[in-house]
Amino acid sequence: MSIVRNIAAISKGMSITFKEMFQPTEVENYPDGPGPTRGAVLQDRFRGAHVLQRDENGLEKCVACFLCAAACPSNCIYIEAAENTAENRISSSERYAKVYNIDYNRCIFCGYCVEACPTDAITHGHGFELASLNATNLVMRKEDMLVPAVGMPGELAAHSDSVK
Amino acid sequence: MADVTFTVDGKKLTAPAGTLLIDACKAVGIEIPAFCYYPGLSLQAACRMCVVRIEKMPKLQTACTTTVAEGMVVQTETDEIKQARKATIELLLGNHPLDCPVCDAGGECELQDMTFKYGAAESKYVEIKQHREEQQWSPVVFFDRPRCILCYRCVRVCGEGMDVWALGIQNRGVSAVIAPNGQDHLECEECGMCIDICPVGALTSGTYRYKTRPWEMTHVATICTHCGDGCKTTLGTRRSNDGMEIVRGDNRDKSGINGDFLCIKGRYAFDFANRTERLTKPLVRQADGQFKEASWSEAIDFAAKRLREIRESKGGQAIGVIGSNRTTNEENYLLQKFARTVLGTNNIDHHRTVDYVSFAAALAGKSERTASLRDTANAPAILLLGNDPTEQHPALAWNLRSNVRLNRARIYIANHAEIKLRRQAKQFLEIPKDGYASLVQYLAGNDSVVAANEQTAAFRDAIRKEESLLIIFGSEFRGRDIQALVEFGLSLPNTKFVLLGDYANSRGAADMGLLPDTLPGYVPVASAAHFADEYGAVLPQNAGLDLLQMFDAAQSGNLAALYVVGSNPVTRYGVDPAVLKNTFVIVQDMFLTETAQLADVVFPAANLYEKAGTVTNTYGDIQLVKKAADKAGVRSDFELIVRLADRMGADLKKLVPFGRGVRADMGQTRGAQSGEADRHSVWLAAHGLEPKLSPFDPFATLDEIQRLVPSYSFSRLELLAGSDQHAKSELVQISAAPARRDLVLPSQDTLFTSGTLGRYSDKLKEVLDSHTTPKPVEAAAD
Ligand code: SF4
Ligand code: SF4
Ligand code: SF4
Ligand code: SF4
Ligand code: SF4
Ligand code: FES
Repeated sequence: MSIVRNIAAISKGMSITFKEMFQPTEVENYPDGPGPTRGAVLQDRFRGAHVLQRDENGLEKCVACFLCAAACPSNCIYIEAAENTAENRISSSERYAKVYNIDYNRCIFCGYCVEACPTDAITHGHGFELASLNATNLVMRKEDMLVPAVGMPGELAAHSDSVK
Repeated sequence: MADVTFTVDGKKLTAPAGTLLIDACKAVGIEIPAFCYYPGLSLQAACRMCVVRIEKMPKLQTACTTTVAEGMVVQTETDEIKQARKATIELLLGNHPLDCPVCDAGGECELQDMTFKYGAAESKYVEIKQHREEQQWSPVVFFDRPRCILCYRCVRVCGEGMDVWALGIQNRGVSAVIAPNGQDHLECEECGMCIDICPVGALTSGTYRYKTRPWEMTHVATICTHCGDGCKTTLGTRRSNDGMEIVRGDNRDKSGINGDFLCIKGRYAFDFANRTERLTKPLVRQADGQFKEASWSEAIDFAAKRLREIRESKGGQAIGVIGSNRTTNEENYLLQKFARTVLGTNNIDHHRTVDYVSFAAALAGKSERTASLRDTANAPAILLLGNDPTEQHPALAWNLRSNVRLNRARIYIANHAEIKLRRQAKQFLEIPKDGYASLVQYLAGNDSVVAANEQTAAFRDAIRKEESLLIIFGSEFRGRDIQALVEFGLSLPNTKFVLLGDYANSRGAADMGLLPDTLPGYVPVASAAHFADEYGAVLPQNAGLDLLQMFDAAQSGNLAALYVVGSNPVTRYGVDPAVLKNTFVIVQDMFLTETAQLADVVFPAANLYEKAGTVTNTYGDIQLVKKAADKAGVRSDFELIVRLADRMGADLKKLVPFGRGVRADMGQTRGAQSGEADRHSVWLAAHGLEPKLSPFDPFATLDEIQRLVPSYSFSRLELLAGSDQHAKSELVQISAAPARRDLVLPSQDTLFTSGTLGRYSDKLKEVLDSHTTPKPVEAAAD
């Protein structure tokens, strides 16, 4: 009886193989594909390079609460806080992040920082082309991660400090 | 009081009758939440967080105001109580902003903790919260009104604790708000006690606000570098571009001798360390008279070479050494050893703020006669002669006030000024500025010396009736006056003494022999045999020049070199800069002070927050100093002295005790795992090796101090565990040698100044300025 079972198992396996052989090929033609991702197809949930968000007024959402840094298991977030003033308003709350660095040498893309953030300021974007021949390039600064203020209501004000 | 037995959560407990239920529970580890209750302050019962169910009582009761009674049966955590507490928090949060991510208290906020515990995070209210802008009340106190939960702790600590009464309540009921005394600003002592005691983030500190978060800092409990009280202050530090920067000073570690207290200087005046004009490179004066930055080895070589030349050509007596009031005991000890063995001179002194020598002489051989700062908080009767503790010894003033309030202590004050503490005094006697010595004679029974009246007679009678008296006196007493005062005190039963000197380690400087005529432990230089044995060197036998004589010698061309460690005698003693023009001057300091400006070589030195060791406060409490901050480019005075000695060709093994054998890292550099140091030393012993400690390790020098100075024979274990140890004055061997009165120069500091160091603190300066320019009174803080 075992022979019959073996044959059945093999034919079941081979049937899948043969069926797939005649299906159209699905290869992501990265990096030569079309679009801004150059052919890479990413799921929504994909956790790529971080993006620091702005609110509807163009102010930075990050209030430098350090909770992401506290949650981060690889200890790769570095923040320096400073106080907003009437003349120099960066975030909507009392405090903003003067310096916000993530060290991608160490980040494990676990998303804990995103979970921890009380203001939804830090999110995972879809950027994945992070490789570099020089490890020091892997420390991203706030300016590298912040969404541009272009087209936002607070464009002018926001430009003053944070956009390259 | 008699003990009573009662039951809490099914546990049988006993406590003295009259104990508050909340305290009795806390003592056995049952925590009852409380916002308004604070040990040592009056009861408020404003928050209703501490409610408990007591059998046979109709409603929930507040544990913070209920005293324990025989047979009481108490429940502290039932569903009913949880529900009541949750409801309380919901009400508190009714208009509380969702500020936690930016709030300074976030992470150490009592309201946050309780909300978390009782799960009242969702609000039932839909109304829009009332926002109020944050107000700045003073350079150090900010108020964020919506965050306040009206626990009244700040009001009570400022009024009862500080006797300042600068905070109060405006309006009633739901409109009640905390308000400052100057309408829109505070006129107060700027101690920051209100900020520290606030359970939430309503009162925030001008130096720390919005800088970082509690868990981001490293917290190091060390000793305040300012006045002579030696409070323990916990410094929160974080990494900066050039080391570790101090961002906060507070009093989380209430285990120190100061208990709850810190004054403005311990709490905020650490910012001198971050000043931009801080020296970080050695400076050497060039032929053209200008300073030029030099490398460490160049500068040390240069200084050592000149010192050596001078020692060889003119002898040690042509060299003078001036020590500091803020360096550690180990550094002071090493400095005098360096002066006496390497330079071969007894010309060593420091800025004396009081006459510790006469005090030590007066008490020689008497045991248990000096009081610790702790004693001032519970002595039943205190006689305060001279000084103004509110300004010069804030922690002592706090202790005296608390002592009166909590223990009904009797304080007798005689002063030439109407000092603030007279408000707590049982009797206050105003005497002429030069009347202290005659007052003591009068107290001792000599009626003819003062114009006695009823008041003075009552003062004397009251003091003589006391069965146990603590006599605290200031720099008004020097030399023979101290002798007379101590003699009078000893004629009463159970007297203890305190001499109030200024600065963190003035007492240590005197104890460690930064004096021309005495060695460490006040041993006269002429009877230095056991020191000579230990040092393996011939010590100079004649008393050296004191500080004033050194400048006289410099003027007459007899002082070829002067080595100044962490001191600014030029300003302090008003020395004419021309005096030093032919003297080779080496200065170790943080800044280019007036003295450093006259130097030939300046070494950038670390401050007390950037090194380890011990200091002795003016009461004789020896405490551990831990390294909290770090600054690239500076060196500790200890290291500088050792390196200078090395380049002068001294035998380092004799100067700093460090053994033969292999270099031993007992894991200190990494933060050793438990047992690692033991395993390491077992291994070394098995291989017949002896650990070789670093020549810059101050604790090896502490061993030597403890061998040679009997009054410093305290428990090392206790010291390292962070407890204060009291110097044993009875073990001092000295024959009295009254010094020149004008050598003693009280610092005359106020709450907001701290000698030369204080001038480099921006915060102190800001506070001083705000106190000298009164603000216009504007609209009330609504
Ligand atoms: S994704 Fe994870 S590892 Fe990366 S920064 Fe966030 S918390 Fe840290
Ligand atoms: S006081 Fe406490 S609960 Fe209120 S915002 Fe600050 S951290 Fe949050
Ligand atoms: S800083 Fe001190 S004196 Fe000033 S209001 Fe606060 S508690 Fe009172
Ligand atoms: S300011 Fe702070 S300490 Fe004062 S009543 Fe409000 S919550 Fe209490
Ligand atoms: S009382 Fe003296 S030792 Fe205490 S914090 Fe103030 S200045 Fe520092
Ligand atoms: S702690 Fe008892 S009422 Fe506030």
